[in-house]
Amino acid sequence: MVAAYKALFNLVVAFFLVLSLEGIGRKITARIQRRIGPPWYQNFIDLFKALSKHPFSNGWIFDFGVLMALGGTMATAMVIPMGSAFWTPFPNSDNFFVIMYLFAVGALGMAMGMVGSGNPWSSIGVSRALTQMLGYELPYLIVISSTIFHYKTASIHKLIEMQRGGWNLLVMPLGGIIAFVSLMGMLGKKPFDIATAPAEIASGPMTELSGKYMGLLHIMHVFAIFVEISLFVDIFLGGGNFGWYLVKFIVVWVLAVMISSVLPRFRIEQMIKFYWGVPLGLAFLNALFVLLGWTL
Amino acid sequence: MTNSMSNLVKILESFNPFVEEIDEKEIKITVSPDKVVAVLETLKANGYSHLSLMTCVDWIDDNQLELVYILFSWEDGGKFLVSTRIDRSNPKFVTVKELWPVARFYEREIHEFFGVEFEGNDDMKPLFLELWDERPPLRKDFDPRDYSRKKFPDREYEKDVIKEAKIFRGEING
Amino acid sequence: MKERTIWEQIADSFRSRSIWMLHYCTGCGAMELPPTMTARFDMERFGIAPMATPRQADILLITGYLNTKTLRRVIYTYEQMADPKYVIGFGSCTINGGIYFDSYSTINRLDYYIPVDVYIAGCMPRPEAILEAFNYLMEKIRKGEADGWKRYRENYDWYKQNQIRSLGEVYVHDEFHE
Repeated sequence: MVAAYKALFNLVVAFFLVLSLEGIGRKITARIQRRIGPPWYQNFIDLFKALSKHPFSNGWIFDFGVLMALGGTMATAMVIPMGSAFWTPFPNSDNFFVIMYLFAVGALGMAMGMVGSGNPWSSIGVSRALTQMLGYELPYLIVISSTIFHYKTASIHKLIEMQRGGWNLLVMPLGGIIAFVSLMGMLGKKPFDIATAPAEIASGPMTELSGKYMGLLHIMHVFAIFVEISLFVDIFLGGGNFGWYLVKFIVVWVLAVMISSVLPRFRIEQMIKFYWGVPLGLAFLNALFVLLGWTL
Repeated sequence: MTNSMSNLVKILESFNPFVEEIDEKEIKITVSPDKVVAVLETLKANGYSHLSLMTCVDWIDDNQLELVYILFSWEDGGKFLVSTRIDRSNPKFVTVKELWPVARFYEREIHEFFGVEFEGNDDMKPLFLELWDERPPLRKDFDPRDYSRKKFPDREYEKDVIKEAKIFRGEING
Repeated sequence: MKERTIWEQIADSFRSRSIWMLHYCTGCGAMELPPTMTARFDMERFGIAPMATPRQADILLITGYLNTKTLRRVIYTYEQMADPKYVIGFGSCTINGGIYFDSYSTINRLDYYIPVDVYIAGCMPRPEAILEAFNYLMEKIRKGEADGWKRYRENYDWYKQNQIRSLGEVYVHDEFHE
């Protein structure tokens, strides 16, 4: 029962925290571009407005895909530990691999539903998103594997406990930096927002989404951001109690926003070349260091 | 007229053209319709290989349509305007799409806006206009205002604002 | 006008604070939008953001003259948008034809084909005028007066008849898509 409450609390925190942070991110981008920018609660207004519209459906595969994307991502957000063993809803199943597999359900649901809309831009966007996943997941998974090898556990809250002596980022700085670069790709922030490129493929997978579907996918995106940044905070920044966890979360998000607001967009093949070049090589180097025991 | 251009004009004298010098690097050559293709071929062989534009002018008083080919040379930057006049009531000409493939589209456009038929070019689908139901619109006897009134209704104003503005400006007495 | 329920009033106040405009421009008014979007006038502070597809957008900007070929695509686009949707007509071309009043391919008044909520006078309107129009539209949405999408539903036959009178037929036959 306590686990259920904690999981629900996870969802509530994810919803309000990430939606406010998205608004703050828009504000930061605006200030960097010397604009005033929208108020911080703008994304709440956007979301509720989207949910109040009268949408079009594109068949049951489309409907089901959107629900599957939302459900899969919510399920993933429920098992994420928020910084410490106490804020871990399901201590026996917060294994990294469980999270990765659950997370794939949401991504596949999105791919299925959006291709089901029948719009060619959606298909191009989905294929770009999957290609991008191929790009960033390879270095990311190699870094995470070396982390798991180093600490001899894949459970997230145990990894947090192992980092009491020092953050993983400081133990293997190379790996931490690679993981952050991969995180930028996961978040779909600016140099890597290839899948949703609005100027080229009309916002990609979201092309056919109207009204409520757009709102539901926005919520899914909110939970996805929560999962991705939480994983980085837990695995590399050592978690911490709830307050510290929030601070680290906000710092990582603001850093990502600031980097993304000054960069243009990669083309798809440039992105693959980028990820499979230096980051992948450094990830292998990091794995080699971990195997040889040359960690700080 | 640059040196190379005057040499070319000498070559073209066998077609007995009417040569006009528009400015230093631009020369207009008017020839009879049956010699146009030969003139264009000669010019193309002598460096004027770029068809910049192909267009048409309606001379309604002479009952003639004037076809103009503008050729550009990438070697000396000169321009030749090859012009010819064809009958307006039964406009027919030959295509130059063998010389310049891009001429296909210019010919479609001229067919659409002036009603000229190009023999040899059978792809004469409308290029710009959709569901056009009148005479070609760039002919001088087409009244666009009349057509606009018929097809696109104007806004009805409750008061005559133009008259009021004229009174305001003191042009007429109200 | 019908009385709105409390939920519609709440939804309208959300709609007025978050207007996603379709990034589709016709004619010369497109030139006035970059300054309206960027640092000088910054329309994002009102919650107005550009969107790439008609499905996501709330507001359609007709930025200048519309010829018959474009009008077909505009009608398609308008009908693809999700209710509630709003239209702003820019400049004198959409009001009465402007300098194209006697053109053989340019329409003379926009509200004959799709319902228009706000017109901006001028040739072209400056960004200040555009922001003023956005504010006016937000006010109208908040009060529930911007009901162009309802009028389009109720008078669909009238609008269709006008469209067919000027266009012949509304379907797009495009040689590049057949």
